[in-house]
Amino acid sequence: MTHSKAASIFNKDEKKVNWHDKALWFVRHKRDIAAHTVTGWEELRNLGHGIKAHTLSNLDTYLTQFEENALKNGVQVHWAKDGDEHNRIVHGILKEHNAKKVVKSKSMLTEECHLNPYLEADDIEVIDTDLGERIVQLAKEPPSHIVLPAIHKKKEEVDVLFQEHLGTKPCDGDPQYLTGEARKHLREKFIHADAAITGVNFAVADTGGIVVCTNEGNADMGAHLAPVHIACMGIEKIIPKQEHLGVFLRLLGRSATGQHITTYSSHFKKPREGAKMHIVIVDNGRTEQLSRPDFRASLHCIRCGACMNTCPIYRRSGGHSYDATIPGPIGSILSPGKDLKKHSTLPFASTLCGSCSDVCPVKIDIHSQLYKWRQIITKDTQQPFVKKTSMKMMGNIFAKPTKFEKVGKVARWSLRNLPKSMINSKPNVWGKERDLPLGPKESFDDWYKKRQKNE
Amino acid sequence: MKVGLFIPCYINQLYPQVGIATLELLEKLNVDVGYPYGQTCCGQPMANSGYENESVGACQNFVENFKDFDYIVTPSGSCAYHVKKHYNIIEQTDDVVNVRNKTYELCDFIVNILKIKHIGASFPHKVGVHKSCHGLRGLRLGSCSENVGTEYSYIDELLQEVSGVELVTLTRKDECCGFGGTFAVTEEAISVKMGKDRIQDHLDSGAEVITATDTSCLMHLEGLITRNKQPLKVLHIAEILNSTI
Amino acid sequence: MSSREHILSKAKENKPEAIALPNIDLEVFKDAKVLSEEFILKVETAGGNVLNATSDKDVIAQINTMFPDTKVNFSTLEGTESFNTVDLNKLEKPHDLENLDVLVLRGDLGVAENGAIWIPDHQIPMRVLPFISKHLVLVIKKETIVPFLHQAYQKLGNTHNDFGVFISGPSKTADIEQSLVIGAHGALSLSVFVQ
Repeated sequence: MTHSKAASIFNKDEKKVNWHDKALWFVRHKRDIAAHTVTGWEELRNLGHGIKAHTLSNLDTYLTQFEENALKNGVQVHWAKDGDEHNRIVHGILKEHNAKKVVKSKSMLTEECHLNPYLEADDIEVIDTDLGERIVQLAKEPPSHIVLPAIHKKKEEVDVLFQEHLGTKPCDGDPQYLTGEARKHLREKFIHADAAITGVNFAVADTGGIVVCTNEGNADMGAHLAPVHIACMGIEKIIPKQEHLGVFLRLLGRSATGQHITTYSSHFKKPREGAKMHIVIVDNGRTEQLSRPDFRASLHCIRCGACMNTCPIYRRSGGHSYDATIPGPIGSILSPGKDLKKHSTLPFASTLCGSCSDVCPVKIDIHSQLYKWRQIITKDTQQPFVKKTSMKMMGNIFAKPTKFEKVGKVARWSLRNLPKSMINSKPNVWGKERDLPLGPKESFDDWYKKRQKNE
Repeated sequence: MKVGLFIPCYINQLYPQVGIATLELLEKLNVDVGYPYGQTCCGQPMANSGYENESVGACQNFVENFKDFDYIVTPSGSCAYHVKKHYNIIEQTDDVVNVRNKTYELCDFIVNILKIKHIGASFPHKVGVHKSCHGLRGLRLGSCSENVGTEYSYIDELLQEVSGVELVTLTRKDECCGFGGTFAVTEEAISVKMGKDRIQDHLDSGAEVITATDTSCLMHLEGLITRNKQPLKVLHIAEILNSTI
Repeated sequence: MSSREHILSKAKENKPEAIALPNIDLEVFKDAKVLSEEFILKVETAGGNVLNATSDKDVIAQINTMFPDTKVNFSTLEGTESFNTVDLNKLEKPHDLENLDVLVLRGDLGVAENGAIWIPDHQIPMRVLPFISKHLVLVIKKETIVPFLHQAYQKLGNTHNDFGVFISGPSKTADIEQSLVIGAHGALSLSVFVQ
């Protein structure tokens, strides 16, 4: 389904659109308050951008350095070319440890690789432990936002879902009660887990350590209790030095939720005594994106979700309308790199308003990249005949002033003289809910010529 | 100083009064304005739709028409931004580079080149300013709410000097209206919803008039206002700056 | 070719020309905020509360008033052994800490800009402790408070930790309709004593 089709379905319930828009705008607003308290915020963004750009330009070196240090720390390091290999590696580690029950904290990478169904096919229980992720897991839906996975769900829906799956009492969607029940339910899972999977927010080349950020404490509850911790990371998670965390952790929480830092920023270096730690480093299309000069900066992304919260389209179409692991503006520049045809409508799901680029903590030129993907998509994928020919026609008209004048005259006459019912009839999508301007008798050209004559 | 007036295609055909106001205003400010007849469009409609290659003719025609002026001034932030940002698709001759550097949105030109803020206009109404995105985040005609730094707005600076204007405070001071060129048609549902939400914000803030640097945003908003019979008037900033009692 | 070599060679092949690593100039971040006041404000913003204490004994005395009815307590502060109701050495596995009510730990440093406290592994006998405890109490020395994370990492640069965590406030979530709920999987409350 195209984005616009999915969006128009979402827009059938205007009240829900208003609710969704407000919930996300509230997060954007909290981000503004937090960012505006930081002296030198824009310099911090420049640093974030610069450090990431530098890292990508030395990616192979830093990955090697990271691996070397991680190995020294007693961590096992694995490399996966794609999602399948990633899943096989994780599965293999679990098999080796005879792990049947797995707790997983938030990892967009494992979503991207579709790890859960892969493991479940072998009767391995995978429990998403972030509350929002657990909610969408129970609802058998993908996350609709990378930081707020269940932002599209009403509390009443969560209430019903928990009654069904966790046996909770009806509570009119009381978040306090529901969160408390989820805590109990997931505490059981943490205690009995055979392995914990986490994502990675930052991988530090000069220490071989990884940093995982959560508010709920679920990554730590998993990793410190289970005998095996598997951390899965994309190759772009690497940063050169530990001191660079000072830059990124200052940017991340504030941009994501308006918190000055997430509750827990856990720095894992060596496995705890008696436990095992594995890191899986995944490419899955990232080195290919690196090869595209116009789009490689998309790999700077630290997954804060600020571009989603600020995007007027995302807020009014919902994350699922993007039909991609990463929705919203950043997803719309990442996804076409993976499957141009499937995601060909995403770069057009934008007015190019530029809010995403200005909110981005690492200054990715998101809206410029959307523009650039558009140019590629019209060349490399099948386009509607009408769109293609009308663009060609317009191009011709605008290249020739005399043609432009004639066409303008006809258009003005039609707008002035044709009945409204005809102007706003079905082929005119504009007119479904909007009036067109009345066609003036004179164009500016006409008026100006007359004026010149009278002078 | 010779200024070339660029009247965007849709203003030329559908909103000549905006072009007239722009010209009259510049002349009031003692600017020597020329209007080259061969001008058409900056090429943006095709380029933003992904057909940059179809816009090459328009770009070349633009440069041909305006290459001999000291400045090119237009009542559209979006078109000015397009010339500056996206004319990298044609050969960068001296003329092209010059045209890109010398193209200005109207308010930007008045405040930063003419260095005038008080125009002597009078407009006794409550005005809501719609900060059109390409002017705001493209040309930086003002600070946007995402960035941290000193707040400013050329448009507000000019309007504050207009006698009788009362600027209203919006809840979301720089959210997009949802026009977005062909987006308005290809993503009709969202485009309409965004427009409705913008209008509501202006109504809630007590505005009588919505103004902007871009008639494209205003055409979209006006289309909704007219259809829904809402008590708001839509005027381009040039029309307000050019008005006297 | 192994996947490792494949990925590294593609990264090498596809990367742009070298871009210099920017220099971090801390001058641009300087503001006029008072460290201790800012720290208190940010801990409170994160949902924690800040108290003053003259000594470790004083910390325990205040905790006993704050949590009069708790059953399972543990503190790593020196000279507060009588407060402890569990002997970590006798625990078979960390899972047995599930009923821990109050945990008192010392933090190495505090960060004024975000209220975060650094807890490295030498301060925690078991890694899961600060997460599994219902109520977490952290004690820091006032002079260890630094303005920004940058200074915190400058200090950490010289230490070798196998594990460490910045903790800012109690665990929390807003995953249900953006309503903030304190107490997700980790601690339900955080009290910070500044000495």
